[in-house]
Amino acid sequence: MGVNPIVILGSVLYFAVIFYIGWYSRKASMDSSDFYVAGRKVGPVVNGSALAATYFSPASFLGLPAFIFILGYPFWWALVGIIGGMPIATLLTAAPLRKYAPTSFTDYYADRYDTKWLRLVAGIPTLIGGLAYVILSIVGTALFLLAILQIPFNVSVVLASVVVFAYIYFGGMVATTISTAFQGVAMTVASVLAAGYVIFNFGGLNGLTDAVLANSGNFFNLPYVSETASHPLMATWTGVVGFFFVWHFGFSAMPYTVVRFFTTQDIKAARRSVFWAVTIGGAMYGGLVIIGTGARVLIETLHPLMQTEGITNAMGVLKHMKTAYGVAGASVTDYSMIAAVEGLRSPFLLSVLAAGGLAIAMATASGWTMVLNVLLGRDLLGKVFGSSWPERQPVHATRVMTILIVFVCMLFAFKPPALVLDISGAAFIVILCSVGPPLILGIWWTRATTTAAIANILVMTTLSCGSWMYAKYKLGSYHWFFLSDPAHKISTPHQFYWVFVGFIFFIVVSLMTKPCKDDVIQKYSLDIRPEQ
Amino acid sequence: MFKGMPKIFWAGTALMYGWIFFFMILEMTIPGFPLKKFMGIPACYTYNWIVGLWLMNIIISFLYFKFEEKREERIEARKKRKTQDAPTGANIVHEN
Repeated sequence: MGVNPIVILGSVLYFAVIFYIGWYSRKASMDSSDFYVAGRKVGPVVNGSALAATYFSPASFLGLPAFIFILGYPFWWALVGIIGGMPIATLLTAAPLRKYAPTSFTDYYADRYDTKWLRLVAGIPTLIGGLAYVILSIVGTALFLLAILQIPFNVSVVLASVVVFAYIYFGGMVATTISTAFQGVAMTVASVLAAGYVIFNFGGLNGLTDAVLANSGNFFNLPYVSETASHPLMATWTGVVGFFFVWHFGFSAMPYTVVRFFTTQDIKAARRSVFWAVTIGGAMYGGLVIIGTGARVLIETLHPLMQTEGITNAMGVLKHMKTAYGVAGASVTDYSMIAAVEGLRSPFLLSVLAAGGLAIAMATASGWTMVLNVLLGRDLLGKVFGSSWPERQPVHATRVMTILIVFVCMLFAFKPPALVLDISGAAFIVILCSVGPPLILGIWWTRATTTAAIANILVMTTLSCGSWMYAKYKLGSYHWFFLSDPAHKISTPHQFYWVFVGFIFFIVVSLMTKPCKDDVIQKYSLDIRPEQ
Repeated sequence: MFKGMPKIFWAGTALMYGWIFFFMILEMTIPGFPLKKFMGIPACYTYNWIVGLWLMNIIISFLYFKFEEKREERIEARKKRKTQDAPTGANIVHEN
């Protein structure tokens, strides 16, 4: 398969638009308010589209179809879980946090729990999750650059890192919000268009379903009612429900979405932004369901590499990508979505898909890089350790941090530790079980205490990371309950139960410890709730 | 806990979880449920793909912001009435 000029043209056009927006809005990012929170100037449609593009990453665009490809129909519920978790953010965290109107993610923890040290504590899982996300975003960008330019994976990782770095270096939050909104539209158009091609190729949804069943008879099997599960991880209800919950609460409490609530004009706009994010993001997800469902049969019946001697199935095609382009082992299956679209043999479609894929990857990489460079610069160096540098030169400080973050993540991107969706799932659980309860219950419960916040973050970060790695190395996968009998493993995707355990732990410790001062509770809990 | 959370929040979450777990249970108790035809296509495309994934969540997020805006308008109207009535003492209860 050679380089296609139409595919390159589509990508060049995409980059041209993005860098124009970034360059044009550079002059708007001269003070720290503009740089950090887009000057609170963006309306709900723009912010909603930007929210969707930031929240959804290559973990969605590549990873979700790849998991449908591997696990079958039951994994559709995971996508429902992700979109279904978005509306609840409207009233749970978006409106209260916009009312509170901070600059960075850790501001709330420091203020509500009345100690600057919570910035450091909350920063630990945020840093873990954030670095994981920048790594997977660089990997996603690299895979699309590989598809476009047909270059070795290592080269595309370096190129991807340069692109992401340049993008965020020059604009800060103003550029990332406005150009990210464009990216939200690009990714949705790409996904929906590709799904349309897939459905048209099979002559409709019935044709698609029949083709999938002819290719993989177990695809639509559910636990307990089928002789064979679609996949061992989907053999029990815990697998289906577990994958539903892994990412479900993310929109309400993940740092890179929460900070976008701060950038809206007012509370009304913050709530309406979620509506637009659901509309745009949900449409994109609808496309991913169809692409993932048709991926295996598309690759095996239409991909040009199936004509190559020795390649007899979809995994053979993907393994060929590994040897031909040096794609790192874990990322091979992530290429399945691109391979499925390659099978449709439309350079125009591949061009649009590549633009959409680059859009989604760059939007997330920049969103997370902004969270991390504000965390490391302004929050930790400045407010915790007392350096005046981030205050005196906020733009310079965050740019230095950007260089560090992108460089470190690039090194890991050469050999990613797992599939992009698995990197994402691990990051979500670590963050949601540790900083999620102090955030949500900090707003909605006057009895939430500082001791509980610190204990929850430290204990849950340790337990979630530890159990995940234990399951991986002892049982072969982080999706098996880490205390399972190896002969009878129980499916608990990414040890998702820690999110619920985290809330219970936080409540119990709060009830046993001293609450915060009355004026702190009034200002950072009662006053930010809806007016009665 | 959750004092002051608008009632529409609970209605929306009940709808969302109710729909999802209802169909999950049907799928895990009735063999072949996702592929049973509904309006000419496998039912899963309707209850999972179109409604569960997209339409239901659009409706819930719309209701959330709409109900809140209306509630805030009522509060503002009530505040304005109190401010207008206050100088005349019209809202003071007279015992005689």
